[in-house]
Amino acid sequence: MSRLDKFLAGLRLRSSTPSFEVGDEVPVFVTGRSDDGLLVRVGDTVLELPDADPSLLDAKVRIEIESFDESTHRGTARVVEVLQNEG
Amino acid sequence: MSTSTDESTALRFYGGRAASAIPIAFFILWAIVQSGLLGIGDTSGLIVGILVGLIVGMFFVRGSWKTYADILFDGMTQRVAATAIVAWLWAGMFAETIQVGGFVDGLVWAAEALRVGAALFPAITFILAALLATGIGTGYGTAIAFTALVFPAGVAIGANPVLLFGAILSGAVFGDNLAPVSDTTIVSAVTQDADIGGVVASRFKYAIVAAVFAFAAYLLAGQAMQGTPIAAASTGGEGTALGLVHLASIGVVIVTAVRGRHIVEAISWGIVLSVVLNLLLGLSEASAIVAFEASRESALVQSMDAIPIVGALIVPVDPGGATVSGSLYTGAVGFFPLIVLVLLIVAAAQLMQRGGGFDAIQEFLLERVATTVRRAETTMVLGTAIVNAMITINTAAEIAIAPYIKTIGRRFNINGYRRANILDANTAALGYIFPWGGGLLAGYSAMQRLPDQYEWFTQAMVVNPASVFPFVFHGWFLVAVFLLAAWTGYGREYVSDRASEEVSRV
Repeated sequence: MSRLDKFLAGLRLRSSTPSFEVGDEVPVFVTGRSDDGLLVRVGDTVLELPDADPSLLDAKVRIEIESFDESTHRGTARVVEVLQNEG
Repeated sequence: MSTSTDESTALRFYGGRAASAIPIAFFILWAIVQSGLLGIGDTSGLIVGILVGLIVGMFFVRGSWKTYADILFDGMTQRVAATAIVAWLWAGMFAETIQVGGFVDGLVWAAEALRVGAALFPAITFILAALLATGIGTGYGTAIAFTALVFPAGVAIGANPVLLFGAILSGAVFGDNLAPVSDTTIVSAVTQDADIGGVVASRFKYAIVAAVFAFAAYLLAGQAMQGTPIAAASTGGEGTALGLVHLASIGVVIVTAVRGRHIVEAISWGIVLSVVLNLLLGLSEASAIVAFEASRESALVQSMDAIPIVGALIVPVDPGGATVSGSLYTGAVGFFPLIVLVLLIVAAAQLMQRGGGFDAIQEFLLERVATTVRRAETTMVLGTAIVNAMITINTAAEIAIAPYIKTIGRRFNINGYRRANILDANTAALGYIFPWGGGLLAGYSAMQRLPDQYEWFTQAMVVNPASVFPFVFHGWFLVAVFLLAAWTGYGREYVSDRASEEVSRV
């Protein structure tokens, strides 16, 4: 990232429900759990991690988006890599 | 966060975790009654408020009171308090030494020569204070220096005192928020796992918007609120212009600080240069900087007074009037009440942390309030505001609230830069808005000495701390920008938006 980009980063109105494409790989914190497994909230968008290890709650991981519904802002993803797990 | 789970050191209160806030809550109530309702701007009075609060809080402790007392000691010995104290003492000595060197007369001369009238003065002061604070990284130091030096110059040419004090505090807010070497900037970046350079770069988009509005507001208010110039003040001329050489003293501080030297070193060089300039150019007597005012009846005093150089520092006075005086003395001594106050406040904050008061607030906010990303960001802004109202030393407040900002922000994958910006901007802003805030009281402490220094400066020109808060325009606009940004998503970034920077950071 260039120096100018650092100044300009985030200079826009960012949605409270960000969208993802299937196949996207992004870093996120695992933010909660549901009956079906772990959850990742990115803003008000919710991604489910059905097969993830429960010990990854609060860990920083890289996930790959497997499905995403634009209308409900929900999707599923799988953990590709654990980046940081303090707990 | 040092919430102890060890039973022997756990601090528990009758009334639950919320009761750990009693000392601070009592202090705030006292401050509102004293400064706000009764209009008494006496820092020593606030010390009594926090002392009584600490005693009252002790009666609510379950089990041994020794734990309470031990935590009080732990709290008072924190480094953040020492940092603020050092900034106040050094800035106080520096500002006072420049002042006896005629810098204020120089500023009045310059304002007249450049035709900066009373209407324009607050807006210009805001810009200059912002530049100094950004350069030296201490808003407290800037508030002290500008109140001691620029404030009387502005009042002399007819600027409104309350508006002018607000402009100075606004400049301090700007610098505390943006300066890479500011304590609050560093704390915000480190606690939110973001790099300092990236945090500062990402901060401009908020700070500049608020600053543009603040500048315009000072121009408009300056027009509407200007008073009449004071005839007894400087009338200009060569003699008074000479004090402007102290721009070099200020320049030394800025350059040294920007080069990454510690603020103690930077301001010390400024003090050394200002003393040298005062003596070499005859701007002040040596005894105006340091003087031993000793009894004229003592033979030793008489003989020391006759010695060259040393004698310049000896001032024989009537018996009973013996004291030490001079700019270094008054510059430092003026902050003693505030120093005692800050030690007690950080101790009370430590009690609240160890007693679980902050945890209780976080749980309430996470479960009841921060249910969407907009509400979470709004909560982060308001939560920072609440903690700054309680812990009035901005760096200490920021350290206390930082873990909670991190927890709430991560719950929505808000990235480190955004979290650091919300944390720091609102800390910087509110630390200079609340009438019992450390930054505001630092400026006020410097202002209280002005009636002794200028015959024309009357007690009526001293601004009550409780009346300045509406005029800290940059602070208010900064908070407004962040509330608006939380709602609209302006500047919002998620953890997933800026992958490489955060991941690569150790």
